[in-house]
Amino acid sequence: MNLPVEQKRTFLERIYLVEIVKGLAITLRHALHNLFKQDFETFEYPDVRKEMPERYKGAHRLTTRPDGRVKCVACMCCAQVCPAKCITIEAGELDDDPIEKYPVEFQIDMLRCIYCGFCVEACPKDAIRMDTGIYEINAFTRQDMIHDKAYMTDLMAGKKPLAESFYRAHQDAAPPGYDLEEDRVLPVDEPRGL
Amino acid sequence: MPTVKIDGIEVEVPAGTNMIEAARKVGIDIPHYCYHPHLSIAGNCRMCLVDVEAGGRGPDIACNMMARDGLAIRTDTPQVATMRRATMEFLLKNHPLDCPICDQSGECRLQDYYMEYGQYESRLSDPKVTKHKRVDIGDHLVLDAERCIACSRCVRFGDEITGTGELRLFNRTDHTEIGIFPGARIQHDYQGNLADICPVGAITNKDFRFTKRVWYLKETDAVCTECATGCNVRVCHQQGQVFRLLPRRNDAVNKSWMCDHGRQAFEAITGLDRLLRARVQGQPADLDDAVAAAATLLREAGGGVAVVLGHSASNEANWALLKLTRDNLPNATVYAVAGNDPGAWDRSDDFLMDADKNANSAGIAALMAHDPAIRDRSDLVQALADGDVDVMLVLGDDVLGRLGADGAGVRVIHVGSFRCTTSDAATVVLPAAHPYEQDATWTNRDRRVQRGRRAIHPAGDSEPAWALMERLGAALGKAPGATSAAAAFKSLASSVESFSGMTYQSLGNGGAVLASPPSPPTDDEDALETIHA
Ligand code: SF4
Ligand code: SF4
Ligand code: SF4
Ligand code: SF4
Ligand code: FES
Repeated sequence: MNLPVEQKRTFLERIYLVEIVKGLAITLRHALHNLFKQDFETFEYPDVRKEMPERYKGAHRLTTRPDGRVKCVACMCCAQVCPAKCITIEAGELDDDPIEKYPVEFQIDMLRCIYCGFCVEACPKDAIRMDTGIYEINAFTRQDMIHDKAYMTDLMAGKKPLAESFYRAHQDAAPPGYDLEEDRVLPVDEPRGL
Repeated sequence: MPTVKIDGIEVEVPAGTNMIEAARKVGIDIPHYCYHPHLSIAGNCRMCLVDVEAGGRGPDIACNMMARDGLAIRTDTPQVATMRRATMEFLLKNHPLDCPICDQSGECRLQDYYMEYGQYESRLSDPKVTKHKRVDIGDHLVLDAERCIACSRCVRFGDEITGTGELRLFNRTDHTEIGIFPGARIQHDYQGNLADICPVGAITNKDFRFTKRVWYLKETDAVCTECATGCNVRVCHQQGQVFRLLPRRNDAVNKSWMCDHGRQAFEAITGLDRLLRARVQGQPADLDDAVAAAATLLREAGGGVAVVLGHSASNEANWALLKLTRDNLPNATVYAVAGNDPGAWDRSDDFLMDADKNANSAGIAALMAHDPAIRDRSDLVQALADGDVDVMLVLGDDVLGRLGADGAGVRVIHVGSFRCTTSDAATVVLPAAHPYEQDATWTNRDRRVQRGRRAIHPAGDSEPAWALMERLGAALGKAPGATSAAAAFKSLASSVESFSGMTYQSLGNGGAVLASPPSPPTDDEDALETIHA
């Protein structure tokens, strides 16, 4: 096992005085710089919000099909892969839809989520994304920290997600078959809208 | 017995064994779809192609290659892998991408073999052939013709097992489609088996539809206690909740099948009629208080005490009850009341569903042979008519319902899992665990003692009936003295001749047949007639 080796300090370091002055000099330099130049990297949060990068993993949303139903088919791949075991899905049957299966309820316990994004990777339907850019995930009760289907669908429908779909913004990087309208890659032959 | 060679390993198998089974014996799995050990051989999926090294010409299908001396096959050559890959490509050519919504996912042979022999890149340039989806073909079944690989297992099941023949493969080549004859509907009592044997998700079970992904389910080997056949089952459960039952192969009992009633019987575990709390004079009570109340009733009975064994209760519970009675209640009379509970399900045939809906009639017969002092149904009718019974201790069965008696003037102690006429009339009710909630054995109609294992925790305050007997025995002065189901069974095996030598280990998964036939119960013909009417 490698134990941390104690650093050898020089005499000047050991008397500390010189180091203290060095530190004060850095603070002074920044203070003077900000006083005259004012180009500091500080945001007046919450009045000013940082634009999050495209691939920032924020709050989950459930994507929807053109008819407004969630794309999710309750396959449980995300719930299975989630290392925090925080996704709970109850599956049900849609009688009037060729896609047959849908989530009656879909919950993510955001207190347990570790924002690994595995759920997004596992989804075969591009039904769950973490591209909302929302990082203020907080509430006054534990219950409210459980995001449910209605909430996560609304993130898409009501409030405009801060970051658009990656491919929508970077169409040149989109794979063949990407459909701008539906914001997804369509299968070559899609008999039943699956 | 011919000796064959599989991948260089010699194995001796009975004549008539095919190479899939022979390979299984030496631990080699030959992928297959259409072959099923309890159906005739169709040889149409071609997944089991193997190379023939000696004793024949190859490649050939292993399912239809019967063992003969000098036969040597190889399953590990590159050519076999190529053949499997090619077969998979054909099978998947028009297959829909339904796995996310397919209930078979997780136990699908297409998925399994695809991981090993998948092509991964589709070479199909034409649109896929589409077929009928979500077809309602029976009360318990949904058909998705697109997922079918035309193995014809289901067709053969209908032709050979149920003899109803509703399913057929229609059309040819790519357009081959499984379906039922126009206007037909699958109505037999063994529908669930079709979902089981379909190696893919073409036929799935309506009752299980979308309730759970199969990979979350744990499986426990148990025995169905809904009738005297005692089909071997696997209880699939998660977090104390049962989601489905599957038949477990036992060639001596149910082969690979089970009936639909038994398959859904687990729903009663959480049903409204389940007894979850002890009751004393109709009021919910602590289990300890109820046991004490029962003991007081028995000890201070003014008239005769009738102890009634349970035809559907386990061997352990019945033995514990008998022992408890002989040790503590010397004046009590032990009865066994054959017959079915009123309201019991009534389907029966000459295949699996027995007319006797008691799981343990043969076990009771063995106890009656052991202890000739056990009286039967007519004696109890007589005793009740004569007013000789003051307190009646009943294990499981709805005795009052069976006798059509109202139990007036009799104080009843009922030990059971479900509400019935007897439990309604009972002064004390002790809640017993459901068969899937306990380790126990039952003796089926062929006198095979079969072991069920505990899948889930007993619901509510219920406990296995043998454990309740221990509590009651302790309250009366002398407990039967078993600390586990295995110990209770050991005590039974060491005392009752026909069970001698049996242990939970020796029963294994297949069960064992009772030693000597017990003399048939004497004048119980009334009851038997009612059953077989
Ligand atoms: S981000 Fe990770 S931890 Fe959070 S829900 Fe998805 S898989 Fe689970
Ligand atoms: S992986 Fe996608 S489709 Fe499957 S349950 Fe999760 S969100 Fe729904
Ligand atoms: S049958 Fe198997 S491969 Fe086909 S959709 Fe169902 S799970 Fe997937
Ligand atoms: S429905 Fe299933 S069992 Fe029947 S032929 Fe098709 S794949 Fe085979
Ligand atoms: S299992 Fe042999 S051809 Fe299908």
